[in-house]
Amino acid sequence: MSHNSKKLLYSVIGFLVVAGVVFGLYTYAGQEAFIRTTLSGLTLGSLFFLVAAGLTLIFGLMDVLNFAHGSMFMIGAYTGWQFYTNPTFIFGVLPLVLAFATTVMLIPVIKPRLVRLDLSEAWQKRLPILTYIAALLVAVLALVKFDILGLAKTAMVAVTTTSSNPLAELSPQEPLLRFLLRLLLLMLSGAFIAVGLSKPGNRTEVSAPEPLKKRLILPVVLFVLTIIFTLVRESASEGVLLMNGNLRFALAIIAATLFGFLLGALIEITMIRPLYVRSFFIVLMTLGMSFVMRELVQVLWDPLAYQMVRPPLFAQPGRATTIAEWLMNGSSTISIAGVTFPTYRLFVILLGVVMFVFVTLLMNRSRLGMIIRAGVQDPQMVEALGINVKRVFTLVFALGVALASLGGIGAAPFLPVQPMMGDQYQMQGFITVVIGGMGSYVGAFVGAMILGMARAFGDYFALKLQLSPTIAEASTVIIMIIVLILRPQGLFGKKD
Amino acid sequence: MKSNNRKKDIGFIIFVVLAFAFPFIFSLLGQTSLTEGINKFWQGQLINFFIMAVFAMSYDLLIGYAGMLSFGHAASFGGGAYTVALLLTHVAPGILKSYRIFIGNLNITEIVILIMCFLAAILVSILIGLLFSASAMRVKGAYFAMLTLALATALNLLARATDFVEWTGADEGMHGVPVPMWINPTQNRLTFYFIALTFMVVAYLLMKRIVSSPTGRVIQATRENEDRSRMIGYNPVTYRTLAFVIASVFAGVAGGLYSLWTTSATPSMTSSVTTVNALIMTIFGGMGTLIGPILGAGIMQIFSQFLYTWFGARWPLVFGIIFVLIVMFLPYGIVGTWRLQGFKLKQGWQRLLGMLKSKD
Repeated sequence: MSHNSKKLLYSVIGFLVVAGVVFGLYTYAGQEAFIRTTLSGLTLGSLFFLVAAGLTLIFGLMDVLNFAHGSMFMIGAYTGWQFYTNPTFIFGVLPLVLAFATTVMLIPVIKPRLVRLDLSEAWQKRLPILTYIAALLVAVLALVKFDILGLAKTAMVAVTTTSSNPLAELSPQEPLLRFLLRLLLLMLSGAFIAVGLSKPGNRTEVSAPEPLKKRLILPVVLFVLTIIFTLVRESASEGVLLMNGNLRFALAIIAATLFGFLLGALIEITMIRPLYVRSFFIVLMTLGMSFVMRELVQVLWDPLAYQMVRPPLFAQPGRATTIAEWLMNGSSTISIAGVTFPTYRLFVILLGVVMFVFVTLLMNRSRLGMIIRAGVQDPQMVEALGINVKRVFTLVFALGVALASLGGIGAAPFLPVQPMMGDQYQMQGFITVVIGGMGSYVGAFVGAMILGMARAFGDYFALKLQLSPTIAEASTVIIMIIVLILRPQGLFGKKD
Repeated sequence: MKSNNRKKDIGFIIFVVLAFAFPFIFSLLGQTSLTEGINKFWQGQLINFFIMAVFAMSYDLLIGYAGMLSFGHAASFGGGAYTVALLLTHVAPGILKSYRIFIGNLNITEIVILIMCFLAAILVSILIGLLFSASAMRVKGAYFAMLTLALATALNLLARATDFVEWTGADEGMHGVPVPMWINPTQNRLTFYFIALTFMVVAYLLMKRIVSSPTGRVIQATRENEDRSRMIGYNPVTYRTLAFVIASVFAGVAGGLYSLWTTSATPSMTSSVTTVNALIMTIFGGMGTLIGPILGAGIMQIFSQFLYTWFGARWPLVFGIIFVLIVMFLPYGIVGTWRLQGFKLKQGWQRLLGMLKSKD
């Protein structure tokens, strides 16, 4: 049998199986329950996709199993929640992160000079360690007496008090001069890290540099952003709080996604890149990072679960019959084919589908996507063709983390925001990636939808047949094992 | 090489003697009671350390010696714990009521039942090891990590399932397992201390024997180069399965003992957090050594005490940062780095001697 007809046969069999299962469920559950469960499944599937898309791209391109992905999901939820309820903390800390990032991103500027230095082999090893220690000391010095806990508490207070004045909980920040000193010290710390990461004296790293102008773009942009955010750090949170709730939520989504992107890029450059030579340790590193992030969140906001207020577009009581009516009144539920369904979940489904379209376009229509697709096949060859693979790695890692972060803020209004919220999604993300096939975003989408449906219908059957709700969770593992037996490389994976 | 080994042996013997004498020395020095108060507290800390050390060593057998990054090791640990706890709670009382076993005039019913429990735990952990191997052994690397994680999650779900609530207690787990009086850690802690210590020593010696046996060598060869070991006629899948089952058995027995020590079996014992704990201990001490995990377990046990008093409830943050730093800068752990440095020192010393000699 030829390759094509085999493929056709498999597609037909797959289609028949799916159609059979759908028809069976439809006749068994009845129309209303079927539609409601399907919609819940799609909601879950969207979130799973947002987590799994990053995982599968990161794994496919650089063979990195990111165990910190669930924590990134959680961080995204926390960032969005903070931004939405009281952005004082975010605007207070953001300039510090940006200042640090500015000088870390100087690596491409200083590297060509540093690698040409004449250093003995012992010093080549010693110098980076010394600079890291110096960076740590300077960073500690920069954060001395910085009231980060006080800043973090502002949003917690905002949750508990229901004052009509949105600005009631704003707290003054420390004087500008002292803050500028902190910024300078953090920049110095970042510069030390950049020196250490450029591997001074290592001539194997010598390569033809790009024009200086191009290399300076990113640091200059970050520097300008640092200055802007330093100047507006008090007025900005005021401005955000006075905004319309829907606009603030949209901004919170963007903020969480961008923060995820920046965090991902920083983590890849400073912590994962030095470990590519010992890939086994990358897993341990991401594991350690997820540990640290989870604990850090608990230090800042106590080990509690928070409920984020839904934005006004999804909060008004009442049921809309059409989408136009929902958009006009901001009703909390909408009736779809006679089934009442929360509008916010509809929004999450939309988010997942939009991101799938975005990733598809990015992968198929852009130059970056072309490079990623080629890199999944053979990274060495791509590097040999003169493409800076390291930068692509950083971009993909940052993109993956940004997607997880987006998933986090998407989930925040209907899940409790708490330190462990990402763990379950990470687990499902792993299973999704195994089902869909490593490195395939289409596989991630299909796998996520299958898992979402399995969870939703598992819950439905558990409720109807009075089984334990564990059935729903176990069903995903069972599906994974079945897929692995039938097709070890995953549904859309390529054979090794 | 041989003298080096002997040195290590002597170190271990000193450690064992000190550990055996610890409760007596402690009570002599502090003028405290042997079985009460602060002495009892530290005995408890050490018991925890001994059990976790065996668990970490068995994990090192997997990641250090066989080169398999498994995230499902807690399944064996929890499997052992649940087996012992279930049998003691639901089966043992019935047997104790109707049968008595004597050697001469000595009633050894409880001892026999306990031994049976542990044999069952070994059987269960062998089964778990075989199940995991059968489904995950043919894949490698990240797939293996994910598959083992998913399988362990399945077991964790089973432990939390509400369908078996009258047996396993679901989310609550089982508490107040009827541990026989003579080994009960609250009443006879000193006995339990010696049993746990003996268990650790025996486990260490056994594992040492296993890794230096021809089979152990083949397992390490598979880690280094799978194709080559297949070329010379050793099937890597067989040997990795063997390593997995051996590690699973040690973890299962450690889990059984742990359930006696805590008189409970909870779902958290089968969760990935338990695996990660073992992983952290192993990385701390040094992969690919047996002393390393013991050291790592000890450090974690003692560190957590001090960090708790210094930093309060959020001490894991400090611990996590130290872990990240170790992964970045000391990838071979404490023992591995120590050995490397020792080798370097020796080399430098020899070079110095050589230079002096050539000057003469």
